[in-house]
Amino acid sequence: MNPAATARRLKSPGEIRRYSTIYHDRLRSARGTRAVLSGLENLVLTGSPYPSGRNIANDEVIVLKDNFLTTDLPTTCASHILEGFRGSATSMVGRLLQDAGIHIVAKTNMDEFGMGSYSTNSARGPVKHGFDSLEQSVGGSSGGSALVVAGGLARFAIGSDTGGSVRLPAAYTGILGFKPSYGRISRNGLIPYANSLDTVGIMSTSVKDAISIYRILNKHDPADPTSLDLNSRARIEHAKLSRSRVPDHAASDQVSVRVIGLRDKKESARLSLEAGMRWKAYGRQYFTKRSWRIGVPDEYNIQEMHPWIRIAWLKTLSVLQDMGNDIVHISLPTTQSALSAYYVLAPAEASSNLAKYDGVRYGIPRDAELADNHEGVLYAHHRGQHFGDEVKRRILLGTFSLSAGAMDNYFIQAQKVRRLVQQDFNNVFTVPHPLLEASTGNPEGVDFIVVPTAPTLPPLLSELKHQSPLDSYVNDIFTVPASLAGLPAISVPVVADDDLPPTSDKNIGMQIIGQFGEDMPLLNFVRDTVEAIDPPRPRETDSRIWTARRF
Amino acid sequence: MLLEPLPEQAPLRKQLKDAARASRGKHDDEVSERDRVRHERLAQWELTVGIEIHAQLNTSSKLFSRASAEYTDVPNAASWPFDLAVPGSQPLFQPAVLVPAIRAALALKCQIQRRSKFDRKHYFYHDQPAGYQITQYYEPLARDGHLVLTQQDGLGEKDGGKIEIGIKQVQLEQDTAKTQEQDEVTSLIDFNRSGHALIEIISLPHLHTPEAAAAYVRKVQSILYAVDAATTGMELGGLRADVNVSVRRLDDNTSNHSYSGVGGLGQRTEIKNLSSFKSVEDAVRAERDRQIDVLESGGTIEGETRGWSLSAPGVTRRLRGKEGEVDYRYMPDPDISPLYIHPEVVEHLREHLPPVPEQLLDMLCANYGFTVVDAQALLALDNGGRLLWYQDIVAHLKVRENDVRSRLGVQVGNWVLHELGALLTTTETQWHPGLIDSQQMADLVSLQAQNKLTGPSAKRLLRILFDGDKRSVAEIAEEENLLFMPMTDEEYDALADAVIEANSSEADVVRQNGKQAKGKLKFLLGQMMRQGDRNRIEAQRAERILQTKLSPVGA
Repeated sequence: MNPAATARRLKSPGEIRRYSTIYHDRLRSARGTRAVLSGLENLVLTGSPYPSGRNIANDEVIVLKDNFLTTDLPTTCASHILEGFRGSATSMVGRLLQDAGIHIVAKTNMDEFGMGSYSTNSARGPVKHGFDSLEQSVGGSSGGSALVVAGGLARFAIGSDTGGSVRLPAAYTGILGFKPSYGRISRNGLIPYANSLDTVGIMSTSVKDAISIYRILNKHDPADPTSLDLNSRARIEHAKLSRSRVPDHAASDQVSVRVIGLRDKKESARLSLEAGMRWKAYGRQYFTKRSWRIGVPDEYNIQEMHPWIRIAWLKTLSVLQDMGNDIVHISLPTTQSALSAYYVLAPAEASSNLAKYDGVRYGIPRDAELADNHEGVLYAHHRGQHFGDEVKRRILLGTFSLSAGAMDNYFIQAQKVRRLVQQDFNNVFTVPHPLLEASTGNPEGVDFIVVPTAPTLPPLLSELKHQSPLDSYVNDIFTVPASLAGLPAISVPVVADDDLPPTSDKNIGMQIIGQFGEDMPLLNFVRDTVEAIDPPRPRETDSRIWTARRF
Repeated sequence: MLLEPLPEQAPLRKQLKDAARASRGKHDDEVSERDRVRHERLAQWELTVGIEIHAQLNTSSKLFSRASAEYTDVPNAASWPFDLAVPGSQPLFQPAVLVPAIRAALALKCQIQRRSKFDRKHYFYHDQPAGYQITQYYEPLARDGHLVLTQQDGLGEKDGGKIEIGIKQVQLEQDTAKTQEQDEVTSLIDFNRSGHALIEIISLPHLHTPEAAAAYVRKVQSILYAVDAATTGMELGGLRADVNVSVRRLDDNTSNHSYSGVGGLGQRTEIKNLSSFKSVEDAVRAERDRQIDVLESGGTIEGETRGWSLSAPGVTRRLRGKEGEVDYRYMPDPDISPLYIHPEVVEHLREHLPPVPEQLLDMLCANYGFTVVDAQALLALDNGGRLLWYQDIVAHLKVRENDVRSRLGVQVGNWVLHELGALLTTTETQWHPGLIDSQQMADLVSLQAQNKLTGPSAKRLLRILFDGDKRSVAEIAEEENLLFMPMTDEEYDALADAVIEANSSEADVVRQNGKQAKGKLKFLLGQMMRQGDRNRIEAQRAERILQTKLSPVGA
């Protein structure tokens, strides 16, 4: 949010100055962020911010999407059904952040249980820049977290990304949204939408900030059965070594390099030897590569893409080329089917995950009178009453696709498509998938894939009212493939044209996707390339976020 | 057995009783004229039964949480967030549950799968907090086992002497919470049981009589006990059975239903949640008769789920029809990775698998000299606890006696089964492993084997031990004057002389006629035995000395 953009929306330039000043004064004052945030209940947040009286500087605060368990703040997933629910333990993400000295000050509004692309499906009401329905959507489902960062109210925010829920709002609000490889960051204490796709996402304005938060969170957690264990992490490190082949003449030379972390001592010794050979052959250059092969999949160049986005894409690619990287045409043929597969699998898992909300043990208690009616229906009334429409729609979808008659045609098919999507990616990446024995890596392949995050510019909230659910699903078409394959992906804000004023209606996100486990190379790549040409501007507070409520 | 005849008040022989009860069932059809007609009618039909058994595994932790699986009477004390389906909690597979599960599968002769997976089975019920049960539907832990039933297991005549029941699969799954009906509108739920590890054992439809169905469940339970895979049986709710029942006319080849890969069957119904061997047998019989009635009167059998309750014995009642059938929507659990079991683990467990009852029976008969009846009785006592105690005693004896097991085995068996059994029955005492120390019992048998105790003295000593005397067997025998003190040669000599003198005419006859005067010799011997100390004199030695003294002159 640029002050210039705000200026056009507000009536007089004087107003903006006034609001900005007030905000910055407040920020500098003792309870800066918290005081500002406390005006944002229901708009950006799902409840009051953390009520501690301690002075907290902006650098040390973070907000969590409201699907991460916290003990001192309720966790509702923006759903009526979880009203007043408090976890008995803080999520692993929350604990790691707190251990690092970062304060969790608030829980942010979202699409109910993460189901939506615009943060409008919330029991708390939609997330908006202001109160104007002619405002642009902030994207979803981590819209609240995105807006807090975009508005300069906190330096970082945590979201969750199942099919694009961190990347899309990041693109629509002009910030960075990073979805790590599946299993990198513990999901323990993250209330699931679709377990096999859910990842913890990081939102920030600079990639350096994203890296520092990622370093805090990138840990194996034995309490999360899908967390990458130390062995898998060691294999990931090893897979990177395959960027280049070991020439035969190097085989006899030995340099002491140790690959650590593998449980199997023999394997560790073998890999160390191999790494030593590579080191000998390529030296430092091997490990700090300066030029990259960038994949551009034909299948993403769809007709429906907004022209500005296509311009921004081309511009990004040409800048990357100018920096000495190779731009390579690739094909990801299953892209077309990926979206359908996603909208079979995610609702199927959701219908199962959400079966536990019956009003018996937590959340809003069920009405005893209607609890068990004469038809023998136990919870239908309660669930019907307290789930939102989109959640009900996806539960029904998922229930259908798992039913005996539909299972083979939908769920099983979708699983097959998911595997094909993974294969597509494995076919084009240089680095093999570290956890798949059959994956060898493509020596002629690419290091990263660069595509837009979404085919559209942020739509107006008023337009969304006329959209069918299907229209909104289609908007996830570019983010869903990386989710299905569990790959790390980051949405980086770019501009279509330097001459155009960078206003919020023209926020564009460019998505960079890496091979599984290549999180750090991906982040480093972004730091060295995209950010190098377009350094993040210091954020001015987007006054609309809070003025509307407080003044 | 050797020493004493079988006492009238033999100890409880559960298995024998069960078998007897089972075989009584087959007479049910014959007791009256009406039943005779029914019996003839039955001959035209074939009953087919397949059984699913759910058994609680003997393990200290739950299947997917570190909560204790030990029994506690504090409700919900043993519940972790995952057991309550608290949002954000995740399943953590507890590998320890594999030990009893694999043992069970091995004892049922199954193939342990190198890879198995967990699936969610969805249905709403208040004892199922997550709205689904985690089970193994698509890829179970083990497949393709079997179990042999014989008449000893309670088969009826119609089943023949021996049948083999195929086991389709053995799978791991979660138990549900426990419901306690408070009043008409209130149920209390205790989640301590929620998430306990169960195995489900699915048989092929290979059973054809109600007796065989009950015998099968009984045998599975005894096998699970024997290999330590389960410790609570049907009586305590640790084992439950669902039965699938169908009938077809023997002369009709048009039956075309199938399940578990077995075809040519009639339409089946399922009776859920049977919690005793008797209810398995009774429910199968009642459902068989109902289906035959329906079919004979021109009706058709609906594929439906039926219930059986003790409050309305003799009939199954409809719970829900096919249209009301729950679609469980099985889905692979996305949080739980597949289970890979290394063959070495399986081999290790196979090598250390405790013997199943059949093997024990063979062992007792072959190595310990038991009769089948006694062996069965010993196996059935105290869930095998008495057998372990018995083996301890024999082991103690072996160390010292260096004797063959079969001779001592029988002797010890008699003490353990009959002498002690009689005491338990008359005093109405429950046996437990600490009742009499196995070492003491071994000492007792050992003393007797060395002829240092007579039968009556040994029995008195047993009673003293039984009453809790903590002195050593040697001390008791000594201090209570129970030891057998053989007479010295001099004493025999003197006694023989006295008897010969008092009965000189008989003695003369013996002297003159030698071996032909057997009757007179016996008379003299009788005199010796009567006059000597009953507890010290031995007939053989007395006879020997008489023969020496009265040997024919000049011989």
